[in-house]
Amino acid sequence: MATAASAGPDHLFNLRNYFYLGAYQAAINCSDSLPSLSPEESVEKDCLVFRSYIALGSYALVINEIDDAAATPLQAVKMLALYLSSPGNKETVISSLKEWLADPAIGNNPILKLIAGTIFMHEKDYIEALKHTNAGGTMELHALNIQIFLQMNRSDYAEKQLRIMQQADEDHTLTQLANAWLDLAVGGSKIQEAYLIFQDFSEKYQTTGLILNGKAVCCMHMGNFDEAETLLLEALNKDTKDPETLANLVVCSLHVGKSGSRYLRWNFSSLFTHQNFTSTACIREIYMFYSQSKYILA
Amino acid sequence: MLTKFETKSNRVKGLSFHSKRPWILASLHSGVIQLWDYRMGTLIDRFDEHDGPVRGVHFHKSQPLFVSGGDDYKIKVWNYKTCRCLFTLLGHLDYIRTVQFHHEQAWIVSASDDQTIRIWNWQSRTCISVLTGHNHYVMCASFHPKEDLVVSASLDQTVRVWDISALKKKTASPGDDMLRLSQMNTDLFGGVDAVVKYVLEGHDRGVNWVAFHPTLPLIVSGADDRQVKLWRMNDTKAWEVDTLRGHMNNVSCVMFLAKQDIIASNSEDKSIRVWDATKRTGIQTFRREHDRFWILAAHPEMNLLAAGHDSGMIVFKLERERPAFAVSGNALFYTKDRFLRFYGFSSQKDTQVIPIRRPGSTSLNQSPRTLSYSPTENAVLICSDVDGGSYELYVIPKDSIARGDSVPDAKRGSGVSAVFVARNRFAVLDRSSNQVLVKNLKNEIVKKGQLPLPADAIFYAGTGNLLCRSEDRVYIFDLQQRLVLGDLQTPFVKYIVWSNDMESIALLSKHAIIIANKKLVHQCTLHETIRVKSGAWDENGVFIYTTLNHIKYCLPNGDSGIIRTLDVPIYITKVSENSIFCLDRDGKNRVIIIDATEYMFKLSLLKKRYDRVMSMIRNSQLCGQAMIAYLQQKGFPEVALHFVKDERTRFNLALESGNIQIAVASAKEIDEKDHWYRLGVEALRQGNAGIVEYAYQRTKNFERLSFLYLITGNMDKMTKMLKIAEVKNDVMGQFHNALYLGDVRERVKIMENAGHLPLAYITASVHGLEDAVERLAGELGEDIPSLPKGKVPSVLIPPRPVICGADWPLLRVMRGIFEGGLDAAGKGGEEEVEGIDGDWGEELDMVDVNGFDNGDVTAILEDGEVGEEENEEGGWDLEDLELPAELETPQVSTNTRSTVFVAPTPGMPVNQIWIQKSSLAGEHAAAGHFDTAMRLLKRQLGIQNFDPLRPLFLDLLTGSHSYLRAFSSVPVLSLAVERGWSESSSPNVRGPPALICSFSQLEEKLRDGYRSTTAGKFSEALRIFTSILHTIPLIVVESRREVDEIKELIIIVKEYVLGLQMELKRREMKDNPIRQQELAAYFTHLNLQLAHQRLALLNAMTVCFKAKNLATAGNFARRLLESNPANENQAKTARQVLQASERNNNNVCELNYDYRNPFVVCGATYVPIYQGQRYATCPYCTSRFVPTQDGRVCTVCDLAVVGADASGLLCSRSQIR
Repeated sequence: MATAASAGPDHLFNLRNYFYLGAYQAAINCSDSLPSLSPEESVEKDCLVFRSYIALGSYALVINEIDDAAATPLQAVKMLALYLSSPGNKETVISSLKEWLADPAIGNNPILKLIAGTIFMHEKDYIEALKHTNAGGTMELHALNIQIFLQMNRSDYAEKQLRIMQQADEDHTLTQLANAWLDLAVGGSKIQEAYLIFQDFSEKYQTTGLILNGKAVCCMHMGNFDEAETLLLEALNKDTKDPETLANLVVCSLHVGKSGSRYLRWNFSSLFTHQNFTSTACIREIYMFYSQSKYILA
Repeated sequence: MLTKFETKSNRVKGLSFHSKRPWILASLHSGVIQLWDYRMGTLIDRFDEHDGPVRGVHFHKSQPLFVSGGDDYKIKVWNYKTCRCLFTLLGHLDYIRTVQFHHEQAWIVSASDDQTIRIWNWQSRTCISVLTGHNHYVMCASFHPKEDLVVSASLDQTVRVWDISALKKKTASPGDDMLRLSQMNTDLFGGVDAVVKYVLEGHDRGVNWVAFHPTLPLIVSGADDRQVKLWRMNDTKAWEVDTLRGHMNNVSCVMFLAKQDIIASNSEDKSIRVWDATKRTGIQTFRREHDRFWILAAHPEMNLLAAGHDSGMIVFKLERERPAFAVSGNALFYTKDRFLRFYGFSSQKDTQVIPIRRPGSTSLNQSPRTLSYSPTENAVLICSDVDGGSYELYVIPKDSIARGDSVPDAKRGSGVSAVFVARNRFAVLDRSSNQVLVKNLKNEIVKKGQLPLPADAIFYAGTGNLLCRSEDRVYIFDLQQRLVLGDLQTPFVKYIVWSNDMESIALLSKHAIIIANKKLVHQCTLHETIRVKSGAWDENGVFIYTTLNHIKYCLPNGDSGIIRTLDVPIYITKVSENSIFCLDRDGKNRVIIIDATEYMFKLSLLKKRYDRVMSMIRNSQLCGQAMIAYLQQKGFPEVALHFVKDERTRFNLALESGNIQIAVASAKEIDEKDHWYRLGVEALRQGNAGIVEYAYQRTKNFERLSFLYLITGNMDKMTKMLKIAEVKNDVMGQFHNALYLGDVRERVKIMENAGHLPLAYITASVHGLEDAVERLAGELGEDIPSLPKGKVPSVLIPPRPVICGADWPLLRVMRGIFEGGLDAAGKGGEEEVEGIDGDWGEELDMVDVNGFDNGDVTAILEDGEVGEEENEEGGWDLEDLELPAELETPQVSTNTRSTVFVAPTPGMPVNQIWIQKSSLAGEHAAAGHFDTAMRLLKRQLGIQNFDPLRPLFLDLLTGSHSYLRAFSSVPVLSLAVERGWSESSSPNVRGPPALICSFSQLEEKLRDGYRSTTAGKFSEALRIFTSILHTIPLIVVESRREVDEIKELIIIVKEYVLGLQMELKRREMKDNPIRQQELAAYFTHLNLQLAHQRLALLNAMTVCFKAKNLATAGNFARRLLESNPANENQAKTARQVLQASERNNNNVCELNYDYRNPFVVCGATYVPIYQGQRYATCPYCTSRFVPTQDGRVCTVCDLAVVGADASGLLCSRSQIR
C-alpha cells in the first residue's frame, strides 16, 4: 500500500509501460506529447527515452545526444550505450563505472545502480551486479534483481524479491512481468499463471513482440507448440529482426517437426548482433568438436 | 418502492388493473372514473356519469367491460371500447362501497351501506341474490378467486364468509332434474342461495377491508382498530391466526401478495406497510406527507401495485425484477431466487452453479443488483443493496455445479458498486470518501484511488479502467495512471453495454441510449418515450435493445427502428445473428428469433456494402413505404427504385435519382402529360436531348420542341415542325419556325397567307426579294407601307450550335451500382460515377495490401526452406555447465540485508538437474552435455562415429530452451522447456527436457521412406531410412511397448538401408553383370514390405533374365508368382520368364548365390553369410558382417562399431524402473 491514495495523475505511466513491455518506438513517440513535467520527471523521461533507443540498438544516437553536462542518470545511460556499442569500450566503461559507484555523491543513484547491474550481468559477474542492486529501492532494481537471481538459478531468492515488489505495488507492470518471469522459471502449474499475465497485457495494451514472445514461451512450456508458432509468426510480422522471436521460432519449429535452420538463415546477420545467441552457439560448436574428438582419439 | 407512475387528482377511492393491457381504472371522489395507461403515462378516457363519489370499480377479466358502483346507489357496467355505460343495476338502497366481477360466472358482487351484499347477473341484468346478515355498513365484499365463497367486511366489526355454491347450482344446466329438486327444497325451506359460513369476530372497530389468499385458506382483514388480522379457515371453522400491529390510524385496505409471500396494507395514517406473511413482521413502510391512503390494487398477473390516496394514485413495484447477470464469452451467469446459475449460449443449457446466500427478507430489494464475472479465476462478484450497498465475492469451485445446498463461503464488503477490473482484481466504490478500492481475490485492499469527480456507481471499462457515473456525466478512469481517459455528459446512466470488441459502448439511461466509443466520444443519442430496459451488440456493430414493449435496433449512425413488439419486458443478454438471447422477469432464459433483414440492409447501405445490398434486394421481401421513405431520406432513391412496383412512385424516384431510363419507362406506363413534362425538364437538365425531344413529342408541346431543335441545330426536324404547324394551321408556330430557320421567303409566304400583306411586303423588300415585292406591291396597291431609311437590314439567321443533333455531354448522374446488377437493360458507354469508384477501389486496395503482406512473409519463409545444416545453428548457455552447484541454504534473509549483503551462490541449472536424473542419451544431449551423452551412447550402443548425430545433438539442445527477453538491455533469460507438462504439474519440480523427436515422427518418416521406395527414388529413400537410424539413438519414449516398437523399427529400417545401399551399388556397376545379378538377388532376400519384395524380385528376375541366367530368373519368377502380385503385368511377365526358364533351365554364369541355403548379407561387402559361417554384428542396428569388418564403423547405420560391446538401446525411463 505504498501508493498514496491521492496522488495526482501519473504522466509517465504510459511511457514507462511502453518501455517495460518492449514497445520502444511507441515509448519514444509518446514522450513528445507529454504535459509539462517536473525536473525529476523530465530526467526520468529522458532516461526512458534513451534506454528505449539503446534497446532499439541506436547506441550512437544516445552517445552523441548525452553530453557531459547531463545529469548522473543520463550519464549512466550513456555508459550503457558505450558498453553495448562496442566490445572495445568494455574495460574503460567498467573502470569508470566502478569509479562512479565508489563516489558517495552519486553512487546511490538508482539509475546508475541499475545500469551497473545490467553491465555486470552482461559480464556474467552476478555477485558484483548484486552488490549494487540488492538493496533495491525502485521497482526496476527489484525487477533486475529477479533477473539476476533467475540467471543464477536461484528462484527462491527471486521469489523473495517478487514479494517485495508485490507489497509495493502488486499491479505494477514490472511486478506483473517479474511474476511471469518467475512463474516461467519455476515451471509446472505456474506457467498458466504466466500465460494469464501475458494475456492480460495483450488485452490491455497494444501487443508487442515482448508480450507475444512471452505468450509463446508459455505455450511452448505447456507443450502447445502450434499456438506458440502462430504467436511467434505474429511477433515476426511486427519485427522481422527481433532475436528472441527468431531464437524462439527456431526452437518452436524444431518441435513442430520443421527444420529450424530456415529461420537462422533467414535473418542471419541480426542473430550475430545478438550477443547471447551467437556467443553460446559458438561455444557449443567448439565444445562439440572437443568432446567428439576425445572419443575418436580414445 | 419503485414508483412507475403517479397521477394527481381528486381523492381516489377505487382502483382496478386491466389484466392484459397497461391500463388502470381510478374512480374518484368527484364521481369521475379515469382510465390511465400507466406505461405511457397518458389518460386514455374518463367516464363521468355517476353522481357523487365512485368507491368501487373493477375490470372484467376478458370482456371489454368494467363495473363501477357509487354513492348514487347505482352500479354501472361500461364498455370501455365504445366508451359507453351499457346499463345500470338498481337495487341498493345506500352508498355502494365495492363492486367486483366473478372470474367465471356472469356475476357481480356489490357491498353497500344498506347492510347487504348483492350478487347480480350482468347478462340478465338482474339481482340474483341478496346476502343479508351484517348489521352495519358493508365496506367490502369479494368473490374467492377459485371457490364458491364470498368474503365481506362490515362496520359491525365482523368479517363474514359466505357459501354461494347453491347459487352456482341454480344457474347450472337446467337439464338436471335432481338439482332442480334440491333447489326447490332450499327455496321451500326459505333457504337462500348464499349462506353465512363463518362469522369472524376479533376486530374492536368496524372492518374496512377483507381479502382471500389466492391459494391458501387464509383471509386478511383491516379495520378501524388500526390492526390487520390474519385468519385461517378449514371446512368447518375459521379462526384468528395473528394480528399485525403498526398502523397509526384506520387500516383502509389490505391484501396478500402471494408471489412474494407478503401482505400489503394501507391506512389513513398516510402509509403503506409491507408485512412478511410467514413471520408476520413488518418489512417496509412507505409514507406520504399529506395524503391518506384509501385503496390498494394488485395487478392480476404482473408484479405491480397501485394505491389511491387523497390527491391521486401511484402505480409502483415493491421489488426490482431484473435478474442480475453477466455475460462472458459464450456463457451467461445470472441469479435466480437464491442461486447463481449458468447458461451456455451455444448449448442452451441452464445449470445451477452455487447457492448464494440471500439475507432473510428483513426488507425488500435485497436481491442481487449487479453481477460481475472473472472467467479466468471463475469468480463472481454480486452487489446488492443489503446494508446500504454491499458486495459478495464467490469463487466457483472447479468441480462447479455444486449439488449440495451449502452456501460457499463468500467474501464480503460494503460499497455501492463492485466490479472486476482485471482477472484477479476488483474495484469497489466507497462513496463516502469517493475512493475506489482495488482488491484482490482474498478481499485485501491492493490499492486505493481517489476519483477526480464524485461518482455514485462504477462499471467495467476494460482491464484496469473504470467507467464512473457522476451526477451529469460519465467518465472513464484509468486506475493505474490515475487519469480520466474520456468523459461524456449524459443523463443518469443505469446500465452500460460494451461491444464485443470493446470499441463501442452503449449507455442506457431511463429514456435515452447514448452510443460512444471507448474514449467516450459521443456518436449518437436515441431518445425513447418508453423506458429502456436492456441491450446487446450484435457481431456487426448494431446495437439491439429493448424497451418495455419493443425490441429495437440502433445502427452506428444513430438510425433506429423497431424489430418487433414484446408482451412482457425482457433483458437481452446476447445477440447472435438473428437470435436474441434474453432473460425474462422470472429468470428464464429465452431465445427470440428476429428478422434481422431490415437493419442488416440498412447497415449494408451505411457501410457501402453494395454487393450485400443487392443480394438482399434480390432475395428478401423488404418493402413498404417506410423503407422507401428511409432510402429516399438517406439519399438512396435509386435503391428505393428497386422496391417499388407502383409506376408513379417509381417515376418520382427515378427522377430523384436521375435515372432517365427508368423514368422514361414509367412515363410510358403512366402516359400522362404532367409526367411527360417533368420527364422533359429532368432530361433537359441532364442534357439528354433525345429524351427531351421524346417527352415533348409525347406532350405535343410543339413550341418547346421547336426551340429544342433550334438549340440543338436540328434543321431538318425544324423544317418538319414548320410543316406540322402548317398542317395544324398554326400561323404563329409556322412563323416562329420559319424565323428560326432563317427562311425569309417562307416568312413572307406565311404573312401573305395570313393576310398581313403590309408586313409581308416589308419583309420581302427588306430582304430584297424583288419578285415578291413586286407581287405584293401589286396586291397592296395604294397601301404600300413606307420603309425606314438609312438602315442596313440583315437576315436573322440563328447561330449554329457547337454540337449538332446528338446529346450534350451528359451531367454526371448517379448511375447506381445497382443498375448493372438489377437492370440488365443498363447501357454501356456511360461513365461510372467517380465517387463510388474510388470507394470501392480503396476497399480492394486494402485487401490487396493484406494479401501482399502475408505473401511477403510466406515468401521469406519459403526462401529459407532449403535447410542447410552447416549453418551455425544457435547454441546457448553452456557457461555454467561445469558448475557442480551445491545447494546452500540461503543464509541471508531480507532482514539482514541492510547490514551486509552476501550474494547467494548460483543455483543448479535445470540442465544439470536433467542429466543427474537421466541415463538417456537424448536427454543428456538436450541438456547440452554432449560428452556424457556420447559416453552413454558408446556404452549402450557401441556408437563411436558421432558425426551423423551432430545436427540432432544441436537440434535437441536448441529445442530444450526457450528465450525470454525480460528486462530491457539485460541478457536474455533462457528457460528450460520440459516435456509432459500438465495443468497439475507442481512448480519447482523439474520434468525431463522436451525433446524434438517423437516416435510418431519416425513412423511418419517410415511411411515416407516406403513411398519413396515404391516410387523408385532410392537415394531419397535411403536418406530417409538412414535418418531414422540416426534419430533412434537419441529418441526418448514413454512406455515399454513403444521401446519394443522402436527396436522393431531398427530392424525394419536396417533391412531397407542395406537393401537400398546394395541397389544403389548395383546401379553403379553397369560393367559387372555378375555382381549386378548377385546384388539384385541378395536384395530379394531382405525383409521388405511385400510390395517392395515383389519389386525386388521383378528387378532381380529382369536382371538375371537379361544376363541369360534363366534358372535363377525362373526362381525369382516363381517366388514372385507365389506372392500373388496384384499387378497383372508383373504376373504376366513372371509367367513368361517361368516358361522360358522351364524350357531352358540353366545359368550362363555362376553367381555367389544359393537360394536354397538361408543367408544374411554382409552390410559392408554385400556377400552372403550362409548359416553356420562366422559373422560379426553391429551392436546398434544388428546388421551382420563378415568377420573382417570387426572393429570398423558399421556401414549400415554409420554409427556403431561392428562387434563392439554394448548394453543395448536405452530409450525410455520405463526401461530403468
